[in-house]
Amino acid sequence: MASMMQPQIILLKEGTDTSQGKAQLLSNINAVTAVGDVVRTTLGPRGMDKLIHDDKGSVTISNDGATIMKLLDIVHPAAKILVDIAKSQDSEVGDGTTTVVLLAAEFLKEAKPFVEDGVHSQNLIRSYRTASTLAIEKVKELAVSIEGKSVEEKKGLLAKCAATTLSSKLIGGEKEFFATMVVDAVMAIGNDDRLNLIGIKKVPGGNMRDSFLVDGVAFKKTFSYAGFEQQPKKFLNPKILLLNIELELKSEKENAEIRLSDPSQYQSIVDAEWNIIYDKLDKCVESGAKVVLSRLAIGDLATQYFADRDIFCAGRVAEEDLNRVAAAAGGTVQTSVNNIISEVLGTCEIFEEKQVGGERFNIFSGCPSGRTATIVLRGGADQFIEEAERSLHDAIMIVRRAVKNSTVVPGGGAIDMEISKYLRQHSRTIAGKSQLFINSYAKALEVIPRQLCDNAGFDATDVLNKLRQKHAMQSGEGASYGVDINTGGIADSYANFVWEPAVVKINAINAATEAACLILSVDETVKNPKSESAQGDAAAGAMGRGRGGGRGRGMRRR
Amino acid sequence: MALAFDEFGRPFIILREQDQKTRLRGIDAQKANIAAGKAVARILRSSLGPKGMDKMLQGPDGDVTISNDGATILEQMDVDNQIAKLMVELSRSQDYEIGDGTTGVVVMAGALLEQAERQLDRGIHPIRIAEGYETASRVAVEHLERIAQKFEFDVNNYEPLVQTCMTTLSSKIVNRCKRSLAEIAVKAVLAVADLERRDVNLDLIKVEGKVGGKLEDTELIYGILVDKDMSHPQMPKQIEDAHIAILTCPFEPPKPKTKHKVDIDTVEKFETLRKQEQQYFDEMVQKCKDVGATLVICQWGFDDEANHLLMHRNLPAVRWVGGVELELIAIATGGRIVPRFQELTPEKLGKAGMVREKSFGTTKERMLYIEHCANSKAVTIFIRGGNKMMIEETKRSIHDALCVARNLIRNNSIVYGGGAAEITCSLAVDAAGDKYPGVEQYAIRAFAEALDSVPMALAENSGLQPIETLSAVKSQQIKENIPFYGIDCNDVGTNDMREQNVFETLIGKQQQILLATQVVKMILKIDDVISNSEY
Repeated sequence: MASMMQPQIILLKEGTDTSQGKAQLLSNINAVTAVGDVVRTTLGPRGMDKLIHDDKGSVTISNDGATIMKLLDIVHPAAKILVDIAKSQDSEVGDGTTTVVLLAAEFLKEAKPFVEDGVHSQNLIRSYRTASTLAIEKVKELAVSIEGKSVEEKKGLLAKCAATTLSSKLIGGEKEFFATMVVDAVMAIGNDDRLNLIGIKKVPGGNMRDSFLVDGVAFKKTFSYAGFEQQPKKFLNPKILLLNIELELKSEKENAEIRLSDPSQYQSIVDAEWNIIYDKLDKCVESGAKVVLSRLAIGDLATQYFADRDIFCAGRVAEEDLNRVAAAAGGTVQTSVNNIISEVLGTCEIFEEKQVGGERFNIFSGCPSGRTATIVLRGGADQFIEEAERSLHDAIMIVRRAVKNSTVVPGGGAIDMEISKYLRQHSRTIAGKSQLFINSYAKALEVIPRQLCDNAGFDATDVLNKLRQKHAMQSGEGASYGVDINTGGIADSYANFVWEPAVVKINAINAATEAACLILSVDETVKNPKSESAQGDAAAGAMGRGRGGGRGRGMRRR
Repeated sequence: MALAFDEFGRPFIILREQDQKTRLRGIDAQKANIAAGKAVARILRSSLGPKGMDKMLQGPDGDVTISNDGATILEQMDVDNQIAKLMVELSRSQDYEIGDGTTGVVVMAGALLEQAERQLDRGIHPIRIAEGYETASRVAVEHLERIAQKFEFDVNNYEPLVQTCMTTLSSKIVNRCKRSLAEIAVKAVLAVADLERRDVNLDLIKVEGKVGGKLEDTELIYGILVDKDMSHPQMPKQIEDAHIAILTCPFEPPKPKTKHKVDIDTVEKFETLRKQEQQYFDEMVQKCKDVGATLVICQWGFDDEANHLLMHRNLPAVRWVGGVELELIAIATGGRIVPRFQELTPEKLGKAGMVREKSFGTTKERMLYIEHCANSKAVTIFIRGGNKMMIEETKRSIHDALCVARNLIRNNSIVYGGGAAEITCSLAVDAAGDKYPGVEQYAIRAFAEALDSVPMALAENSGLQPIETLSAVKSQQIKENIPFYGIDCNDVGTNDMREQNVFETLIGKQQQILLATQVVKMILKIDDVISNSEY
């Protein structure tokens, strides 16, 4: 630690905050609260969006906690932890990213008076940990399983979960429409874990309702050469050949040079080159494929050659699209045209080139393996579609989690109120300081319904007291009452189908508590004042080490 | 942008370069955003309708555009504000999807924002406003569906289509010739339309323009027009019953793609090489002749020797034809694009009844007409006009008309224009609003009021008294319960849009309402703008 004294002195000179102990802890808590305040207003169906304009001039309009946190570009070391938990929530469950940030900030806010009063932070940490374990157990206990229902019924239930997620987003007005779409898409890929099998394509123009789901693959028409328009644009049950080679007339070797001494040999060289490409094309045709896709270029010669033989081709298909076609149609991507056997050819019921808005799309539908789905999103502005895509991503994640872990809890703050009540009751049984801490943890959980009310412009205190009363009923029948966002009163969330997967809540409580404990355990920050950019990273890295098991930290979306 | 202060009043550095960022939040952000959106709408407002004015835009390189088309104006304006950009995209997406009504959609969005501002002042939560708007837009769209009329037409009776296109064109600078232009547009669309699938590929309609002549000379060519001339001045200017070889290979000795070098060390070898080259030319021309081609269209050039040889062998040729045109020619003439001389066969030749070269006025410029093609599924609209700006604007107007015709083929429902559709929607929404309990009611009424702003702008631009005219028409609509009364912009003497033949497509109108609502919702939902202060 002796070596660390050096920068400290420099820091002092520059007037940077180097306080240790309690002051440092309080300052960290304040910073975290400030960040929590930024995302606070995005929570819930009446949450607002943020418009973030970065220095490169690109603009994002979002309601998604993780996206906002990422774009805020936070450098404060303690506040950075919030970014990390939002990210981890995003990669773990995909939704509830705002919730987790809000909870963490609230836990710390509740801890602040205790710290000021001189409570040792380890005491707080211990109590918070106990409280979170208890809370999670309670969530598990309260969760209702949707297992064992018929597929149709299950689909309906999953759509409810998706609708709850979507209700807070920009596309909330059409949540039923999109919820069904998302459920269909997730059901299509089955139990496969590969999320990239669900493609989301964005086409500006049109309105949201024009969005549609393709039970197969769709991608934008690729760059085409003259002759393309003469190819047939619709096939029924075509064979699909997937390639990863160039079909172009070009020199076979970059560094080769041919020396001719006899001018009459000239033609033979030219012929040889042409024969190579013709040979490739012939093999493609011989394979019986009617649709030829390649990741690399398909040149004008090949385009016209295929047009001549009534074959559709598309070059420079994006790799992920090609892979999805392979997965859907059941073919494999070939790197050579030699020995094409029928097994490597895919097929689908209908292949068609279709106009979607201002673009033409290649659509493969009715694929035999049915393991893929593509959502084509329409919307008025680019930012709108971007945000819609993020929202759908959240919904897809939620549905997938719900499929695997089929338990749900009532949303709208109901579950939070119930846990809060449970923890309060529990705290009474404890003698000692811990009673107070657990009580404050319970109070912090109430932030979710409170914020829901605040964002909707309701009287939060009033609504909260009504909720407390319901939840305090001995019979337990009020356990699923949450905020009714439409009337400003309270309603049975479970009966109103405001559902979220239990795993979202569990993960949120877990991550938020962990982050709060982590920040509480820090009593000194050492900053390197010389390098501005390294400052944040170094400090966060040092703190990050304390966090358990690297749970999805630094993982990027998608 | 100080987010927080510690106990000693020093700000935390939480965000990177915090002090250089500005942040607007809460009601201020909404107000600022609304102001930006309104500003854009205000610019376009005066362009709406048949008496709307044009805007002149000068680009950074001094190029001038004069346009009445909303999407074009906004595109060229190069706005910087984020919210204004959203409005630009709104107009663009209307353009992509419908092709017409790009001004109307922005005016509509602007009016919605203006109304929203008033509601915000009343203290209504922005999301409640947005939700009210959404409900209202659904009511309006359903109402439109109800009042829409089916429009029967077929290939022989396309008059209704022409009428609708005329409505579109009447607001443009070309309205002098709207009748003939509308006919051209409709005929062009019908020529390429697939009436069974109700699909129209507008790529098959080529719009060419050339300065000179007058607007009335604009014509529709059932075939292709290429801005090229015969490679040799002495070649025949007119070929009847042409068999066209469409080539993508140059009239040159072929070259291997691999790097190569020919060692010539003796005179004899040089001679052979030359001979060989000549022989190549000879063979190429012969090959074309053999398959019966009477015209060669080539994507690449050929040197004078080949040119001479072609001339000599009496085989007219055109060189340097672009890829897109080549493709269109191939489609029109039913030929195949041939990448290699060896592949030439008589079946791959395209056929056209008449190919002729036409020169214009006193200029030496010539163009090549390829007409009476085997397959008339590719047509060209050839625009003439006094100056370049005029031609460009005509092109845009024709594009709008084409889109309208295409939309009608896709869905033949129409509503009445001249603000009639907006007025009746406004009435319907207003009536529906009373059924909703809660704050949304106010938003729904605001929506109805915003709908009024389109006919209002129409009246204003036509020099009428906006409020008087609107209220007169409104009461007329209610009294007679007929949704066809609109603003009489052209002073014809009747408000009945059926008599005036002012139609718009149903999908176009619905799209306008939905898109405008969508974008307004997005703008209203933003309560926090974080940006670098330099913006």
